[in-house]
Amino acid sequence: MRRGHRKAHLLIWPLLAAALLVGVAMALALRPPPEKTAMPAQHGQVLT
Amino acid sequence: MSTGFQAVQWNRAKIVYDITLAAGVTLYIGGYMALARALAAPGKMPGWDDLRIQAFGSCAFFMISLILAIGPLARLNPRLLPLLYNRRHFGLFAFCIAAMHGYFVVDWFALRGALPDFWGEITTAANYSKFIGITIKPLGMVALLIFFVMAATSHDYWLSVLTPPFWKALHMPVYAAYGLIIMHVALGLMQHDYSPAIPLILGATSGLVALLHILSGLKERTTDAGLAPDQDGWIAVGPPDSISDKRAKIVAAPGGERIAVFRDGARIGAVSNLCAHQNGPVGEGEIIDGCITCPWHGWQYRLEDGRSPPPFKEELATYRVRLREGRIEVHAEPLPPGTPASLVVPA
Repeated sequence: MRRGHRKAHLLIWPLLAAALLVGVAMALALRPPPEKTAMPAQHGQVLT
Repeated sequence: MSTGFQAVQWNRAKIVYDITLAAGVTLYIGGYMALARALAAPGKMPGWDDLRIQAFGSCAFFMISLILAIGPLARLNPRLLPLLYNRRHFGLFAFCIAAMHGYFVVDWFALRGALPDFWGEITTAANYSKFIGITIKPLGMVALLIFFVMAATSHDYWLSVLTPPFWKALHMPVYAAYGLIIMHVALGLMQHDYSPAIPLILGATSGLVALLHILSGLKERTTDAGLAPDQDGWIAVGPPDSISDKRAKIVAAPGGERIAVFRDGARIGAVSNLCAHQNGPVGEGEIIDGCITCPWHGWQYRLEDGRSPPPFKEELATYRVRLREGRIEVHAEPLPPGTPASLVVPA
């Protein structure tokens, strides 16, 4: 790998990790409580 | 290496790698579907059409996480380099599994005669104006498109046509694709399934991948800091025997690319650390059959002039080396690729 490629990696990963941490934390914090999840069937949702 | 392009240059290592991959994927998908049905509460058996979406989707996520972890793992521990050797087949396999996941989603709608609903979901602007409840399918579709471009250009033919720097740049969006996949799960499955396992697996897997990249990046920074050359541009490498026989010491001038200083018995030579194939770290390889051998895919170069042995035509930039006061020094300025520049040191 070239020096520039290594530098890009060193910059990208902390940024990506921080962005994903915020995104997943928000998705977790803002999701509706279980009793309010009655929604039309969607793919990938196990109908339990 | 090859003088021409073949679809796949099969060898024993690649066959073993691919069989292991296929067996692992089969076991995972079969195990997932069997376990999910075995653990389902009575009367709440998930349908096969739901299960196959989940099994293939989660399999693709783990495969892509592992693919992204292989690079930094190999940099942190060279014993894991064999994993890197056939990573492209791993990537192609992962693309196929992800594409199957996408196909099963479309088929889920088709089986219910609801394809217009699928189309409506992804084309309704209002579905993109919210965070929770955003339609997640396009996140996966964009990620799949990125994987398709990578898979379609993965062959050495495209690497040669596009040149390694452009090819590498073309494959960099894989990190964005990984982010899209994680949000695809966080805003999709995680919104309906309240099992704590989902955020835990998602966080632990992606966190580990990111941590490995950050750690390997920090490790690389030490070497990249470089050694200041003297006024004439020479960088001190050390006594000849400080370089292990048939191995290299990697040095760099501040701001410059890395130089691999190899020793083969009494012969010392310095070449660019960038393999002509994929810019792999040739200096982390060794001398096999008299040739510097890149640890990534085995491309070979002669120590004395950085040229691949005939009939191959690849060349590496070489560097002048000299012995001064018992120490090897290398000049920071590269010579044109293929220029003879090695040195035989007295015993």
